[in-house]
Amino acid sequence: MAEAILVPQVGQDLTEAKVVELHVKLGDKVKKGDLVAVVESEKASFEVEAFSEGVVISLPWKVGDVATVLEPLMHVGAEGEVVAAAKTAVPDPVQTAVPQTVHTPATVPVSATPAPVPTPAPAPAPVEAAVSGGDRASPVARRMAADHGLSIGRIAGTGPRGAVVLRDVAAAVAAAPAGGALELRTLQSGQGTPVVFIHGFGADLSSWRPLVARIGLGSPMMALDLPGHGGSQGHGAADFAALVDAVGATLRSLHGGVHLVGHSLGAAVAAALTERGDLDVRSLTLIAPAGLGASVDGDFVDGFLSARSEGALAAWMRRLVSDPASLAPVLVRATLAARDEAGLVPAQTRVARGVFEGSTQLFNVAAALRAYRGPCSVIAGRDDAIVPLREIEAAVPAHVALHRLDRVGHLPQVEAADLVQTVIARTVRSAG
Amino acid sequence: MATRELMYREALREAIDEEMAANPTVFIIGEGIAERGGSYKVTEGLLAKYGPKRVRDTPIAEAGMIGVGVGAAIAGARPIVEILYVDFAMLGMDMIVNQAAKFRLMTGGDGRVPFIMRTQGGTGGGVAAQHSQSLEALFYHIPGLRVVMPSTPSDAKGLLKYALRQEDPVMFLEHKHLYMTKGPVPDGEHVVPFGVGDIKREGSDVTVIAWSNMIPRTLEAAEALAAEGISVEVIDPRTLVPLDRDMIIKSVLKTRRCVIVQEANRRGGVASDIASIVQEECFYEMDAPVEIVAGMDIPVPFNLTLEKASVPQKEDVVAAVKRVLHVQSLAAAAE
Repeated sequence: MAEAILVPQVGQDLTEAKVVELHVKLGDKVKKGDLVAVVESEKASFEVEAFSEGVVISLPWKVGDVATVLEPLMHVGAEGEVVAAAKTAVPDPVQTAVPQTVHTPATVPVSATPAPVPTPAPAPAPVEAAVSGGDRASPVARRMAADHGLSIGRIAGTGPRGAVVLRDVAAAVAAAPAGGALELRTLQSGQGTPVVFIHGFGADLSSWRPLVARIGLGSPMMALDLPGHGGSQGHGAADFAALVDAVGATLRSLHGGVHLVGHSLGAAVAAALTERGDLDVRSLTLIAPAGLGASVDGDFVDGFLSARSEGALAAWMRRLVSDPASLAPVLVRATLAARDEAGLVPAQTRVARGVFEGSTQLFNVAAALRAYRGPCSVIAGRDDAIVPLREIEAAVPAHVALHRLDRVGHLPQVEAADLVQTVIARTVRSAG
Repeated sequence: MATRELMYREALREAIDEEMAANPTVFIIGEGIAERGGSYKVTEGLLAKYGPKRVRDTPIAEAGMIGVGVGAAIAGARPIVEILYVDFAMLGMDMIVNQAAKFRLMTGGDGRVPFIMRTQGGTGGGVAAQHSQSLEALFYHIPGLRVVMPSTPSDAKGLLKYALRQEDPVMFLEHKHLYMTKGPVPDGEHVVPFGVGDIKREGSDVTVIAWSNMIPRTLEAAEALAAEGISVEVIDPRTLVPLDRDMIIKSVLKTRRCVIVQEANRRGGVASDIASIVQEECFYEMDAPVEIVAGMDIPVPFNLTLEKASVPQKEDVVAAVKRVLHVQSLAAAAE
């Protein structure tokens, strides 16, 4: 039976979304979790995933078209099936709610772990609902939410016309995991020991999707959101040790070994996890790792956090790459939209204050790296302006493979994706 | 401290008596205050004790009485001028606003006008539009005047004694409904300085600011709300000028919600000014907009039912407190 994949609801009051990427064509086979398209509103882009297995049997849109939200984007069915028989699969409320409320780029969740369910909003009285805004809140509710790294937009309001008031924030704080599990998603299902990706400061788990799609390992590919980021923004961890604790606790819930791939701050967390003894780290791939020297580009951290416009954020994000052309505008837009919609800046500022002091990294994992005896690869760009290569070189022990990449900055996974995929695959396989 | 139960009017009489005994420059004039002991019996017995030079009846001539008082104060005496209804003080507004309030400044600080105008206002008993007004905002607006509005016998005595010892013109605004109310008054010397508010009831959920006759009404509302589990803090500034801003701000920062109750009509009232202070100082700590419960913007009706409807009642205070606590929206959301 054919099912429709709907154009996601891209915003509260928006009725249209532009199709900016199509990853499938008519007749392509898709399976649950495949990225099939990206649509975007004025504020954010949304990844659309297949939630059933089958063949694309209708695809009325082409890239650049403006589609109507909640109308079929495409139909997936059996080979030879005709669309006339297709039923419109109305995603359940949780699924449709997630793209609007969780970090962007967001997806219709199909992961093995449950998607974060936004606190169900009690239905306000009909008259109130008609005028309720997206993030009405009392001043003290707003401040307290920021203090706890919570986003007003994610808290159900019980005040006048749905406004978030103090009691709502208090309830959300009480419900937020104090030291509990982080957002962990399966990006691609598979067999064997999972490969877990840990993003860097200011990113989130969805940043790994383009890379993960083409690594070519049969292992489950998972990614998590660090505290203060993406779906873990409510987590209160505020220094490096707390980040490591939080990630460690989350990974222990997998009950088994893991391969770790980390970028920048996430790489340092991955390295630190090898020291703990309570987690079986089978291999380690560190991309532009932090925590090996003292320096970090403090201006970048400050500028990145305080940028409010697309232009300002793009100016800072260009520091991440060697070739400015490799920084896709959609990445900047998605970063900005995710921050605006989820109110991530206070939480990320808290994390930044906990791990960096000006241009100094307050943590060091060089000893952990020296002690680690599993397969380990380090990838770094010669043009890295955020974490200097010379400090990485000085700290990487002799038994660890160091890949130094020309004309690559702080994002090797973007500027040298093929090589990074190869190194990850080789490092994971060498663990046996 | 040992206390006695006194009526508001008896407490006022004690204050006048004690200060007249202590200071020979204190005298009191007014309509029917000497032979008759005053319409509200505040000055009963003072004529016999201090004689007609210091306790003196006047004709029905408020402009002249207030002029005499302001002039005597400038000349070095401590006059108390009793005006039967605050409504009639309007006849003396030039002496109050242009002379008494300005004299100290215009003499480079040399001149002093320790002039006390004792009068009463507010609704109560169907005495109609010209005898029921709450006009404190008029005096509050004028720099140079002190505005005092006691709500209890104890405050009435202590504040009047303080008024008779300080150096500036005081609008001492009593309430016709309070004269017969009783309350504990400390034995012995009891002086309440200006600018120090009083927490009439401690609470944690909402701050309600009220004065004069709105205090007993607000306390009744607080009692009713307590039965529903809502803890109300009731603040009585006691003097509107000077105003105990610190007490108000501290309380609102604690409760995060604020209701202001005034009997005077809403427009241009003191409550609006206090609300502006509260939002300026406490905005980022507040969980709801400031609510004002005030009289209607109409002349006070003669008809008793309409009079009651035109000024805040206990139920109005209860409803406002529930609004700032978002009680209704919570109930709606729970459905």
